[in-house]
Amino acid sequence: MGWVWAAGVVVLLGAGFAVAAVPRLRASALERRTAWSSARAGIATAGVSRDACPGRVPEAEALLTRAETITAGRGGVTAAREATELARRADLLWREAAHG
Amino acid sequence: MADRRLREVARWVALAAAIAALVVFVVAQRQSVDVSYGRSPSPPAGVTEGAAGELSDATVPSVEQMTALVRAAEVVRLPGSVARWDEQRVRAAMGAEPMRILVAPPGLDEAERDRVRDVKDATIRVIGTQVTGGAYQATGDSLDDWRAEFAAGDVTNLLITLIAGLREQPPPADVDRLRWREPTAAELEVVAARLRRTGLYTAPGATLTQVPRQEAFPGGDALYVALPRQSPEAPLLRYGPALTRLFPGRPIVELHGDWIEYHGPDAGDFAEVTAAGFYAQFGDRLGRYAYPQATVLGAYLGRVTDVRYAGLFDRPLPYRPADPLRVALPVLPWLFVACAGVFFALSVRSLLRPLRRPRSRPEPGLPARLAGLTALAVEMSALTDRRSEAALTRGITALTAARSALDDDLPDAHVRDLLAGAEADLDEAGRLLPYPGYRPADYLRERLA
Repeated sequence: MGWVWAAGVVVLLGAGFAVAAVPRLRASALERRTAWSSARAGIATAGVSRDACPGRVPEAEALLTRAETITAGRGGVTAAREATELARRADLLWREAAHG
Repeated sequence: MADRRLREVARWVALAAAIAALVVFVVAQRQSVDVSYGRSPSPPAGVTEGAAGELSDATVPSVEQMTALVRAAEVVRLPGSVARWDEQRVRAAMGAEPMRILVAPPGLDEAERDRVRDVKDATIRVIGTQVTGGAYQATGDSLDDWRAEFAAGDVTNLLITLIAGLREQPPPADVDRLRWREPTAAELEVVAARLRRTGLYTAPGATLTQVPRQEAFPGGDALYVALPRQSPEAPLLRYGPALTRLFPGRPIVELHGDWIEYHGPDAGDFAEVTAAGFYAQFGDRLGRYAYPQATVLGAYLGRVTDVRYAGLFDRPLPYRPADPLRVALPVLPWLFVACAGVFFALSVRSLLRPLRRPRSRPEPGLPARLAGLTALAVEMSALTDRRSEAALTRGITALTAARSALDDDLPDAHVRDLLAGAEADLDEAGRLLPYPGYRPADYLRERLA
């Protein structure tokens, strides 16, 4: 008869943990996908600015390379935010250089 | 919505019921420890420790004083000691080398018993009627032994057995020297008159004042006669047979000190069984301690109850209603599992709901705005020049990102951010075009109008 209790307790705990954990996991996955979407958009924009810039801006190129390296590493939310920020700064540098 | 709330309530109710079932089951386990044949209502513990008043006021002198006493005399009887024996037979058993015997009163506490044991010069120690010597202890193993020991404090047979054990010789056969006598008519009349009035006769010197409540003899017609411990030299007074003739058909319980005899109906069926079981289990404690007669009688009646409930002699058992907890106990595990299952099903259902629902709709304006801006970008791409192409390309890049974010079901706020970026870029490009009407705000207003 003991197995009945054990099985019941396992089911109860499992269901409880699942109910608590699954929405949390879902929310964090969505947040990660959103952050990476922003990062990819930022990198693409920076790429366009680089192509439109008449001269070379080594600092901006370094920043964008770092952002692309981070993207290749496929990290979590923090990595995506960092890549976004780097791409934004590179984009600004190129735009300033283009407007000269 | 109400349906969903109902399911949520049901989920928690199932969890609470499962936990309640588990708690009830665990708490109920305590009750399963006490195993009783036929669910006898006798108290679980026979003779309870400490509280039963088994320690007497008697005490013993210091080890040095007792050692001095033992050196001075072969047999030392400390005040309050109750053990008696046949001096002649014991001396004959000892033979040429006499042994020193220290007799202590019953009811000593642990420390006092240790003091008695520390008297190394005493070959044999008798505490109450417990006989020990060397590494040995002599205990009775027959009703005759116990009767002599507890009714009269006679330890002759125990001493002789122990002496033989110390000498590593086979023990001689036991001799029952107890003699009994019937009461005289005058003695019987006093007891019978008392029994007719109260059902309990307590002789001077006996300690039984009230019969413990027990279900040993249902009907309440049992008679109790309590006598003090008597001397083994004179014949012992025994009221039982005479009272059986006087009160036919009524159970009669007769106490001689710690010895309890039963006379009356069914005596042949259970009296010996009960006495043998009782004294075999408790004889050692009864000899060592000075229990009040009420305690001993309570334990004895408990044993009688057990024997009755074991069905050894055919008396109908009183009706006992079924304990609802006992009836419910086998169901509890299944109830628990059912509740766990319900909880599990409802939990899984609440987890799967977002997946089964059709994909969440974005806020209605967003796809329209995306479409409008895309159309604007397509029109502008035909007119663009060097100055505006970078801004236009950035805008198209942002529109692509917004498109894929919408496809991926990303949050509306994120899509809105991307669209705002695209709109800013397109606005910059539109400002740089030589033609009016290509700023997104104007263009969208025109299209929507």
